[in-house]
Amino acid sequence: MKRITLIVSIVALLAMIAMLPMSAVQADGHCEFAEDSIKIGGLVPLSAPGAVAGGVAMSWAINRAADDINAACGVSIDGVNHAIEIVIGDSEGSPERGQAVVERFILEDEVHAVTGVYHSAVGLATMGMLDENGIPTVFSEPWNDNVSANGIMEYDGRPPRNADGVDHVFRVSPASSMVGGVVVDWLIDLGVGNVVIIAENTDYGQPAAADELARFEAAGATVTQINVELGTEDFVPILSRIQASADTPDVVRVLVTGETSYNLTQQMAELGIAPSENTICVTNQVAFQSEQYWQNVPDGNYCAFNRVGIIPSLFSDTAVELNAAYFEEFADIVPSYAMASYDAVWIIADGMARAGSSSDGAAIVAAIETTDLDLSQGRYYFEYGNHNPDLPEGTPAFMWHQWPDPVVTMMQYFEQGQSSLDAAVIFPEVYQTHGSGYIAPGTSP
Amino acid sequence: MVVFRRFESAIDQGIGRRKLGYLVIVLVVLFFLWFPNDTSQSNYTKTVFISGFFYAIMSSSWALLAGIAGQFSFGHMAFMGIGAYAAGLIARDGITFALLGVSISPESISAFGSIIIGTIAAGAVGLVIGWLLLRLRAAYLALFTIAFSELFRIMMLTEYDYTGGSNGLSLRPLLQIADVDAARQVEYYLMFGLLVVCLLALYWVANSPIGLFLRAMREDEDAASALGVNVVRYKILVFVFTSMIVGFAGAIFYSDVGSERIIPEQLEILQMSLIIAYAVIGGMESLIGAAAGAFISRYLLEAMRQVVITLPFGMTTYDGSDAFVWEPGFWRFALFGVVMVFTLRYMRNGLLYPIITWFSGRDIVMKETVSRRESDDNHAARIEADDE
Repeated sequence: MKRITLIVSIVALLAMIAMLPMSAVQADGHCEFAEDSIKIGGLVPLSAPGAVAGGVAMSWAINRAADDINAACGVSIDGVNHAIEIVIGDSEGSPERGQAVVERFILEDEVHAVTGVYHSAVGLATMGMLDENGIPTVFSEPWNDNVSANGIMEYDGRPPRNADGVDHVFRVSPASSMVGGVVVDWLIDLGVGNVVIIAENTDYGQPAAADELARFEAAGATVTQINVELGTEDFVPILSRIQASADTPDVVRVLVTGETSYNLTQQMAELGIAPSENTICVTNQVAFQSEQYWQNVPDGNYCAFNRVGIIPSLFSDTAVELNAAYFEEFADIVPSYAMASYDAVWIIADGMARAGSSSDGAAIVAAIETTDLDLSQGRYYFEYGNHNPDLPEGTPAFMWHQWPDPVVTMMQYFEQGQSSLDAAVIFPEVYQTHGSGYIAPGTSP
Repeated sequence: MVVFRRFESAIDQGIGRRKLGYLVIVLVVLFFLWFPNDTSQSNYTKTVFISGFFYAIMSSSWALLAGIAGQFSFGHMAFMGIGAYAAGLIARDGITFALLGVSISPESISAFGSIIIGTIAAGAVGLVIGWLLLRLRAAYLALFTIAFSELFRIMMLTEYDYTGGSNGLSLRPLLQIADVDAARQVEYYLMFGLLVVCLLALYWVANSPIGLFLRAMREDEDAASALGVNVVRYKILVFVFTSMIVGFAGAIFYSDVGSERIIPEQLEILQMSLIIAYAVIGGMESLIGAAAGAFISRYLLEAMRQVVITLPFGMTTYDGSDAFVWEPGFWRFALFGVVMVFTLRYMRNGLLYPIITWFSGRDIVMKETVSRRESDDNHAARIEADDE
């Protein structure tokens, strides 16, 4: 009996070993690929002084998209499947490095298209090179308005990219101007009149504060702006001034990023300034990282925050899958720039398939202009391009080759320790998840 | 070793080490002059070289300031930034002297004119800082220049209306050449020429009586002062001189020669520490050593982004390939750090010191420094022995 068991075990083991390569062949072999793959360059920051965490997430998403596309038999051109091959380049967040990497992409790696870019400075420095070399490009994170506006408007002495009839640069992240305004519109809807803005002294905080201040004042609100340095840990003196003020503010708006934002919000909550019965707490979008938020801001329940990117309750199947994979890798919720990077590779692949070419830049651009794809962040399309070149009066130039629908929403926690996946979306009304524009402290929606 | 000794004695009896050294320099220069004409080299490699030349200027000028004059400044990148930002702002907005009632429009300033003004601005700020600070000794200059660099960086970051904040500032392009290949060729020669000119200027200062005063001050300020050296004047002089060199190099490099825009992140302390590290690895007291250290380090850091490793003895990877690609990513900086630690511990005069010394036939590190280090070492050894 023992001998029979041994023989059966050995046969089973041999059979399993024999099956392994067979299954591997099948896994690889269900699609037949042409020898020449399609190379897509991913330009992301992977070293200081760039935003390394952002670059790592984008790099992961770009590679994930290529894996998914290849699993679906790659890009079919004239009936032949071509695998996508990703070449990642480290921009270090520096224009000089970004330009050098793009040059390497074009000359040495011979990429067919480019995506990525986290820092606007890198996008602004490389967009001209990419266009001049006829490389179809879909940027997935730079926000500066001019990244897309330079398609049809002069920028920094450079003629519009589309002056020769083809602009190779697209963007699926929002333009800065698209992000501003949502917070103010929401608060004005709520009827706030006395606003305190605490802004970090950087080119994120200051322009954002100036923009919101102008919008609030135009709506008749009174605004007090307080500037703080990034890295400040003790905000009590500043917050005491707010507390001592005769007029209790209706809202304290925090335009501070990272750890400093958490510190400030926690101290504000601890002092009972906001969130409170009379004062709304509006903190920075870093609050979306709920695990970090609750660790650092345990008293921050009922704080609202703005969020760029599709909201969890509206996640499509693609987004749910992407989020699950991202969570497995990084134990965090997938950020908007990773989703945009993932989608950008699909947009390029789709454009090439419809253009019937991986190397005809003009044909690929024309195909991308007529994109109509449902991906992780929603339906992608480009309203303005050579297929529809005339922007109506009043439409800003940055809408050129710009995905018009990046979702910017206001969200609010209403339970202690709540995941941001369950937080309420309170504005715009069309996205509201709990039927309420604001959840007052101590209540439930 | 025996073979090397024979080779050494053959050189000594023949051409002589010094002449051989000059010959090597000529060959290196000829190589750099020929390199862009090698059609097998892509523009990307030329871009890496251009960046290497720029950092060689930064490191060698810092070596004059810190290694030869003993003024340990962390403000080098800030002065480079002043040159570049001033050139960019003047070319864009012009300049107005309100007190004199004189206004110069941007149209009337050429790209090179703006670079010259940027250089003067770097020198002027260097003069003010130097006048205020160089009376101070030891760590105070280092501490102040760290603060000054950060202050300047934050100003460039926050005054976004003027400077573009983190989106950076475009400078007026110095060269307007439509053909990309031709443009890269000219940029390469321009930056290489600038490196050669800067090195010659730095050498001229280091080997002039001023250089002697600087070394005397570095070794013992009080003794130098007692012997009639106007210590503060020469400190300010070298500070302004190196500030103008880096201001000029920065304004040229960011005028679409090496990069089309400057951003505040380039002025971070991390970038400054890289300049120092290049100089330390190459040799702080040797201008050419610091320049070579910077160039080689930049090149290797770039080359190490992707390393193709060919397997020996007919070994193959799991997919049957005889080579694989290793991407060290940020680890290459860790490796760079290890090299720096090794240099500081075992080769304090830089990794290139033995080579340069061999060729020059004399100790390139000034005797007084060596004797001082030796006495420091002996002193430390005595203390250790006493402790035991």
